[in-house]
Amino acid sequence: MRLSRVHRLLLAPALAILVALLVAPIVLMAVESFRPYIPGRVGSGAGWTLFNYAELISPAYAFYFWDTFRIGFIVSVLAVLLGVPIAWHAARTRRHAVRVFIFGLLIGLLFLSLIAKLYAIQMTWGASGPLTFFGRLIGIPVSSPRYAEVQVFIGLLHFVLPVATLMLIGTFQNINPQLELAAESLGAPRYDVASTITLPLAMPGLLAAFMICFAMCISNFVVPLILGRGVVLFTTNLMYTRFSDVANYPSGAAIGIVMLVLALGVVYALTVLVRTLFAEDLRP
Amino acid sequence: MTGVAGALEATGFQRAFAQQGQQLLVVQWGAAWIDVSRKIVAGYEPKTGDRITWETHAGGAMAIVAKIKPVWPHVSYNLISGWDPTFRAMINEGWVEPVSLDEMPALKDIPPVFFQKDKAGRLMTTPLSTSGAFWGYRTDLVDKPIESIEQLLEPRFKGKLCVPFPVNLTGLLMLTLAVQRGGNERNMEPGWTFLKELAEKGQIGRVINNNSEFINAMSSGETSVAFFNIGAWTQVRKRFPVKILSRLKDNKGFLFNEGFAVIKGNDPAKIASAKRLANYFATAPINEQYNWPLGEGPTNPNAKANPEVADVFYKPDELSKYAYIADFEYMSAQVDGYAKRWEQEIAPLIRKA
Repeated sequence: MRLSRVHRLLLAPALAILVALLVAPIVLMAVESFRPYIPGRVGSGAGWTLFNYAELISPAYAFYFWDTFRIGFIVSVLAVLLGVPIAWHAARTRRHAVRVFIFGLLIGLLFLSLIAKLYAIQMTWGASGPLTFFGRLIGIPVSSPRYAEVQVFIGLLHFVLPVATLMLIGTFQNINPQLELAAESLGAPRYDVASTITLPLAMPGLLAAFMICFAMCISNFVVPLILGRGVVLFTTNLMYTRFSDVANYPSGAAIGIVMLVLALGVVYALTVLVRTLFAEDLRP
Repeated sequence: MTGVAGALEATGFQRAFAQQGQQLLVVQWGAAWIDVSRKIVAGYEPKTGDRITWETHAGGAMAIVAKIKPVWPHVSYNLISGWDPTFRAMINEGWVEPVSLDEMPALKDIPPVFFQKDKAGRLMTTPLSTSGAFWGYRTDLVDKPIESIEQLLEPRFKGKLCVPFPVNLTGLLMLTLAVQRGGNERNMEPGWTFLKELAEKGQIGRVINNNSEFINAMSSGETSVAFFNIGAWTQVRKRFPVKILSRLKDNKGFLFNEGFAVIKGNDPAKIASAKRLANYFATAPINEQYNWPLGEGPTNPNAKANPEVADVFYKPDELSKYAYIADFEYMSAQVDGYAKRWEQEIAPLIRKA
């Protein structure tokens, strides 16, 4: 569709804001990532260098990138899996009170301060909390780094599950329930209806919910900071150390650019995979 | 004169003058530091007409340096609380207003060695507290006394150590471990080796970034042994039995000073007000009131130290035996290396343990 002059003029202010607030900072960050850092000083020095990228080639940093994406991926999958039944029920129930309750709960969770939620999780599931037995139940000592990872999982899930569920409610509401009823009336069992009718039609929405959750997880800094006990570190925490504690802006910028490129790569790969697997169902 | 003053008071002139004080933005640490500062300022504001707005440090004090750099000189802070390494960074950047004994008479009482100076020898800080970083433990959670930090490798301390992230305390954690094994700030390799041993054995249960995290970790019993500043230890000591290891045979207590730095600006009236506030904190009764709940030593010799921490700090003849004053100017320039080495060599070991 070619844009007319009027369309271009109407889009111009939004584009200008997008460039100023999104593109420009990323470009400046990319430029900063090629600057040298002078120990003991604040910010970058003059000249250009690839050192900030070269030091990220270390296996230790590969682990941080892998850990961030791994935890983000698992939490996003769990958020979608847990969100689907809640969203489907909210979309399909005829009981108004139930729908209002589910919406209210999800929106209430969104409005509740994330910091308050995280400290509540820390107190509840932490070393001296009432749910400490959970660590013993799953065979992980509560003082171990693995348990800190479990708490990070719980914190991130708490953060993204309401968002995923709300998105999926819209997805299921857009699927005509008559299609499911038609399949059932032809004798298809409920699980068959779900797997051959509902799921394929919901795939674009499921993918969108997953992507949003994934982006929220891998860019999250507060959850690993509070629940990670300093032993579970996301790349965002490394960036925070560079920018805030050490004032090594170039190194922090390099980590940010690498994260951006990797995240775009992962999103592209997942999109291609889903489109390949569900090509028929995604065709308009 | 008294009559004139009384008359002015009666006409409300003084009240009107007092109400024309300055609005100051002061950065202070959270927890007990901001609490006691607010109490002190509650009595100060009506007298001077100044209005103090507080902002707390986010994490270590160096975070404020990183916050100021991109916006300098358009900075709204008038007074910043910090400690020796942070002050050095700010002085090197040219952000700090020099102070003088004429402008701030309370500084005359403070020993000259406590001040940070610039290359021209000018006084650049208002020292308020002598503090230190020490090893310590909760005696109700540790069965046998600790007499050497070599004991921290014992199995009973698995997951029980609380240590600061290396940027916190400007690498004093590595320094104490280095000193244990015969090193110093310019030879930290023994400290890194010791730290790797602790990480591999799974002794490290929590890595903290600020006072609040330390207080939570030690108060909850999640960890039982730690290395951190005495101000944070004091908050834990208020509620739990704690032994501060300030007189170890084979290690040291690491001393430093905290205080205020007046930030340069375009408004001479605000700078004068900031100096007046900093001077107020340095007077003997206020310096005593400030340090009492923090458990830190006052810098004003006419102020009394909290007897609850008398066991921690040193008499003059003990300093050479037990105290260590690090070269913070050197260590501040190494923190980037400390942070990266921690990320590459130590954090992976802690995760695998």
